[in-house]
Amino acid sequence: MTLFKSSVIALALTCATPAFADSLAITNATVHTVTEQGVLTQATVVIEDGKIIAINPETVMADNIIDAMGKNLTPGLIGSFNHLGLVEVSAVSSTRDAGDKDADITFDASAAFNPFSSLIPYSRKGGITTNLVVPYGGDKMFKGQAFIANLTGELDSIVERNAAVIVELGAKRKGSRALEIQQLRNKLEDVQKALAKAAEKSDNKDDEKTAKEPKRDEKIINALLAGETPLIAYAERATDIMALLALKKDFALDLVIYGAGDAIRVVNQLAEAKVPVIIGAIENLPNFDALQVSLESAAQLVNAGVTVIFSVRGDTHNLYQLRYDAGIAVANGMNKTQALAAITANAADAFDLNAGRIAIGKRADLVLWSGDPFELSTQVEKMWIEGIEYSTDSRQDALRKRYTAEADLPRAYVK
Amino acid sequence: MQKMAPSLLMVALSMGISACNSSESQDEKVVINKNPYPSTYHPLASQPTLIRHATVLTGTGKRLDNADVLMEQGKIVQVGTNLSASQAQVVEAEGKWLTPGIIDVHSHLGVYPSPSAESHADVNEATQPNSSEVWAEHSIWPQDPGFHQARAGGITTLQILPGSANLFGGRGVTLRNVPSPTMQGMKFPEAPYGLKMACGENPKRVYGGKKIAPSTRMGNMAGYRMAWAEAVEYKRAWDKYETDYAAGKNPEVPTRDIELDTLKGVLDGEILIHNHCYKAEEMAMMIDLGKEFGYHSGTFHHAIEAYKIADKLAENGNCAAMWPDWWGFKMEAYDMVQENVAIVDAQKNSCAVVHSDSATTIQRLNQEVGKVMYRANEHGFDIKPQHAITWITANAAKSLGIADKTGSLEPGKNADLVLWNDNPFSVYAQAEQVFVDGAKVYDRFDEKYQAQSDFMLGQR
Repeated sequence: MTLFKSSVIALALTCATPAFADSLAITNATVHTVTEQGVLTQATVVIEDGKIIAINPETVMADNIIDAMGKNLTPGLIGSFNHLGLVEVSAVSSTRDAGDKDADITFDASAAFNPFSSLIPYSRKGGITTNLVVPYGGDKMFKGQAFIANLTGELDSIVERNAAVIVELGAKRKGSRALEIQQLRNKLEDVQKALAKAAEKSDNKDDEKTAKEPKRDEKIINALLAGETPLIAYAERATDIMALLALKKDFALDLVIYGAGDAIRVVNQLAEAKVPVIIGAIENLPNFDALQVSLESAAQLVNAGVTVIFSVRGDTHNLYQLRYDAGIAVANGMNKTQALAAITANAADAFDLNAGRIAIGKRADLVLWSGDPFELSTQVEKMWIEGIEYSTDSRQDALRKRYTAEADLPRAYVK
Repeated sequence: MQKMAPSLLMVALSMGISACNSSESQDEKVVINKNPYPSTYHPLASQPTLIRHATVLTGTGKRLDNADVLMEQGKIVQVGTNLSASQAQVVEAEGKWLTPGIIDVHSHLGVYPSPSAESHADVNEATQPNSSEVWAEHSIWPQDPGFHQARAGGITTLQILPGSANLFGGRGVTLRNVPSPTMQGMKFPEAPYGLKMACGENPKRVYGGKKIAPSTRMGNMAGYRMAWAEAVEYKRAWDKYETDYAAGKNPEVPTRDIELDTLKGVLDGEILIHNHCYKAEEMAMMIDLGKEFGYHSGTFHHAIEAYKIADKLAENGNCAAMWPDWWGFKMEAYDMVQENVAIVDAQKNSCAVVHSDSATTIQRLNQEVGKVMYRANEHGFDIKPQHAITWITANAAKSLGIADKTGSLEPGKNADLVLWNDNPFSVYAQAEQVFVDGAKVYDRFDEKYQAQSDFMLGQR
């Protein structure tokens, strides 16, 4: 009877969420867990209800079974710090929603996220299943808030809003970088004082009426000060990084540094402070904030104990290259495990995502590759986001098919 | 002797004519110096070198396994198997790959250098839509650290172009990627100049934004046509001067115009067109523009939509210089396909080129080619490495008018080559040694051959 009951529940659930209907087992895979378990060969991963429920179970029970034939299975890759879904064509202003001159710390661009953007299926070609989207903000120091979206291309693809606060420091076209560092510190101090005052007042019942509701921006800074929301700060120069490390210490911030071209000068401090850095793996041209940046920087950082996350810098349209950048980092001294972590687990940890590893209970974002995931010759064979398979077919494929097809009529008739 | 006869006759005739018009003796003939900033490049010191047992991609479409290449006095002497040369230093290259030096037909190194700084942004003379009078070589900062990074990526030759703000951006110049304190010390001897033209969004945006022409694509076309019409007149005036002078007359010297000198150079077939032009319909019109005014429309750069008119480009003898995957940054870059290069290449008599336009990408043009090859092969093409390499070697040399000198490993060609630690179309591949004119200019494992920019020297 009990058994019967549970299957009725299961059926009911199935009807409510048909997407999660079937369980899936991927067998005979080379599984890159990005956990202490390392790489498992001839392994089986079982998925149910969008989660990984078993690895190498004694008996494989699933509605669908896929034989991976020894190929590589990795966690879905995680893109970081780009404008996916917020910009369709960079030079067409009406397709840009990542910034606004009035944007401030409260700016949440997730309301503008377009899951039907042509960049999304194209990015899936690179094995990207999840992405940290950031606004580029406006004139203010705080650019707004980041959000997490998966790459299903469905209306419900935003996973988390208010995932981080973005602040931009460092080199400026006008004025001095010094002022912004001061302003950031002042802002944090002011809110901290206001918080303390409010706490004092709430102890005193007489003042209850006069206790003010914090403003929207103050609430966000409160979350930073409580360590609930990460602060992602853009900075390249070592001195700016040191200033940020001091802020982290003084205000107990959950700090992540983006850019960090000069990080190799302060590797030990970064490692000690346990501050992850989001870097472009292939950045190696000097600028005055990062004169010594090189292709070996990534390996040097990791080997010194810094957590590294890779981001494809510049235009979002080639987010798909993330895996190649990891490969180039390997050619320049990183090991493959470190490089894979830099595009999976490390990002998941920094942004508090239940993804980025192949482990029981993790979201079933998985990619099956035709070969070495970092190689140019490799392609995505299959990918799953929350256990559901998605294709990598994009508008670009339709164009190629049209212009390589045999056609009697003009190609506009080829669909 | 027979050959001499007519010219002697000519001299006699012209003397005769001038004798007839003795009242009008000829002034000294005005000759325009077409090479006032000549190359001072000299190859670095080299010694005869035999590279043995490599996998050789010749750049002529051949792959030779376990093969040897011998170079002497700056030239390729022999390519084959079991070569020997008693005087030559030997490089054992078992397991390694050897290709011609990589050529980038589209670079802004030196004119858009690193660090990116206002004071060094010398790529665009964006003050008038026709700036045919400017020469990119006059802007080049030879200390750009990017030259060194590109050399470590196997780049031995590169064309530096002015920017795309203008209908006519000015002249581009082809450089050898060797360190030198002067631009002229890098200048590729006898390489023709290029004229940068730009279609589409950039000129109309830059000038439309200033409320001057062009502000539309039709304004772009009008601007080109007016300039070429003027150039045709200018050429006619100079040709007439030449003819009349040769006929013993004392013609009036046409007024020198530096802007029109460049366009005339194109009409004379001495300067090659390098046309920033993304879209199929615009490339087609630019081909006809060339026909209207009597010049060849050359190479289309950033030719994102070349695949739509691959047949037309091949028929007309145009090269198309392309990226494997850049897209979406503007409307004219929206219709990207990753197989663009392969589709263009599939036509008979095609000239497909992979280019960078980037100080970062230029360091890995080999990988850019790899991306195209693998994606195309996934979709029914059958492109082999020995063919794919031509997109950044032989075809690139053809685009720049230097195919008789570089771009392939053939006896008599300049000894420009790259020794790779792996298949160059692997993400892990790195150039180990790079040679220009037989001289080692880069060695990944020997600091002696790792040049450094003055800018980086002593920086902390």
